[in-house]
Amino acid sequence: MTPAAELRDVRVTFPGGVGALAGVSLALVPGAVTGLVGESGSGKTTLCRVLLGLQPPTAGAVLLDGQPLAALLARDRLVVRRRAGMLLQDAAGSLSPRMTLRRLLAEPASIHGLPRAEAWARTEALMHRLGLSPDLLDKYPHQVSGGQARRVAIVRALVLQPALLVADEPTAGLDVSVQGDLLNLLLDLQAELGLTLLVCSHNLPVIRRITAATAVMYLGEVVEHGPTAALFAAPAHPYTDALLATRGGGRPPLRGDPPSPVHPPSGCRFHTRCPLAQPRCGAEHPELRQVDGRAVRCHYPLVGALDGPLTEAQPGP
Amino acid sequence: MTALLQVRGLRLDAPTPRGPAHILRGVDLDIGAGRIVGVVGESGSGKSSLALALLRLLPDSVRVSGHAVMDGTDLAALPEAAMGAWRVQRIAMIFQDPATALNPLLTVGTQLADVLRRRAPGLSRAALRTQAEAALRRVEIADPARRLRAYPHELSGGMRQRVMIAMGLLAQPSLLLADEPTTALDATVEAGIIALFRGLRAELGGSILFISHDLGLVADLCDDIAVLYGGLVVEAGPAAAVTGAPAHPYTAALLACTLDGAGRLPSIPGDVPDPVAEPPGCIFAPRCPLAEARCEGEPQALRAVGAGHTVACWKAAPVQAA
Repeated sequence: MTPAAELRDVRVTFPGGVGALAGVSLALVPGAVTGLVGESGSGKTTLCRVLLGLQPPTAGAVLLDGQPLAALLARDRLVVRRRAGMLLQDAAGSLSPRMTLRRLLAEPASIHGLPRAEAWARTEALMHRLGLSPDLLDKYPHQVSGGQARRVAIVRALVLQPALLVADEPTAGLDVSVQGDLLNLLLDLQAELGLTLLVCSHNLPVIRRITAATAVMYLGEVVEHGPTAALFAAPAHPYTDALLATRGGGRPPLRGDPPSPVHPPSGCRFHTRCPLAQPRCGAEHPELRQVDGRAVRCHYPLVGALDGPLTEAQPGP
Repeated sequence: MTALLQVRGLRLDAPTPRGPAHILRGVDLDIGAGRIVGVVGESGSGKSSLALALLRLLPDSVRVSGHAVMDGTDLAALPEAAMGAWRVQRIAMIFQDPATALNPLLTVGTQLADVLRRRAPGLSRAALRTQAEAALRRVEIADPARRLRAYPHELSGGMRQRVMIAMGLLAQPSLLLADEPTTALDATVEAGIIALFRGLRAELGGSILFISHDLGLVADLCDDIAVLYGGLVVEAGPAAAVTGAPAHPYTAALLACTLDGAGRLPSIPGDVPDPVAEPPGCIFAPRCPLAEARCEGEPQALRAVGAGHTVACWKAAPVQAA
């Protein structure tokens, strides 16, 4: 099956030598929900921007439905926008404070030159689906609740009928009492519309609950990528293990901050913080290898090792 | 339990074009000496305003009534001139966003020395440096001598928050207010800061008021919990009692909003109360799954249901001691 979107050894280097992405390969299964996790500065946002054609890669290839993104963009930028949509982290802040919701909701169709009546009918259907009352149409963003503003942003993204939707921290800043509602809604829409959904978050419980596959990033690299259930049950990379241990796992938290992406550590990029680092880890950069049904970038993956409870849920490689 | 701080009937009203917004509607809260008390609530519940009210940092337009008594002094009635002596020395605060709470124009060392000078005006420069360095070492900042010369922008978010905690250590306040100190941080960094709070509590000596929207985090760290909803404490008590046997339907609903399990995700239907509204009954009644006519008609005051465990719901039955 052709991936809905694919990165092949993508590198992004910003001026000053900041290597935001250092050779990332990732394929999104069409119609599935994939999670992207990692600390701030790990490259999550850059990866999303590259995927949507907002940031040209320094090297490597990006494919949308098997077609090179660069060629698609050169032909018609708007076509790419219609195929791949984005939900920004600060949904309320992404809405112009000077426009009513009516204008905000009509804007995507007018930018893309879609037939007005047809697009508005779709907008109204989506509003109904998302529980947005037509009474809100003449209000400004600051006059509606945060949850409502987020729903408006979702309608704006979906009215163009994208096949791929990238959601950056969709629940950031939402109270726990309403985050369940929003996630239910996203999942329902994903299933109804057959969307390929990429969810970036550092909220691991959210990722665990709503995704089928998870990719873990550290300092511009994917260090582990595999089925969410297996990855959470028995992480193979020590960094994934450390991320999962952050809440009440009993294991000591990671020490220190991520190293600078300008001068990444030699060998394995995680070795400076890894509790299990060996001499080899500082010398030799590990390749992404298949271990136990997932891709892992580690010389000494935890899965398969005789390390007590961690190996319980998974048979060895 | 001797209370370090007793808050009684604390009300905050802010003028808006639609009429006064009731930020706090009569909060009762005890903070025991040496205890870590967690205040949990959703956005708009008034939890940050509560902390700002204790330090009297709210704008003048906000009307404060009620009492907040600490060591026999009512902070809510203290003139501004007298309040200066309380800030930092007696009550210090760690803010949510360390990037904006630190002065960008001064080095970490200068800012730490400022705190020390306030407490002990006569200290020599060498003594200031030694103590500031020791404080950074205690919050596990590597190479403290170099970090003293750093400006806030040269530090990571986690390190800035550690500097804020070091300032809290140096101030040695009787009460440390921490307003969502880990919200702006990554999960791995957050875990380190929480571990630090736990490890330093003996050294801090005083009480800590830990404000968070994260009930799980608060349950993990705190001795006592107060649940704030719409400007009122609806339940308070020892952390194990509040999370183990929640007596208020709101606390129970919040605890049910976990991401564990499968199927539909739980949520609490409805919206938080309009701060301008003055509902005659229970503040949670419009969203409460158990609400009856009586709930809409009569306000609910906190009453005891167990040892140190109070709840503002007439339906709550006394909890049997385990």
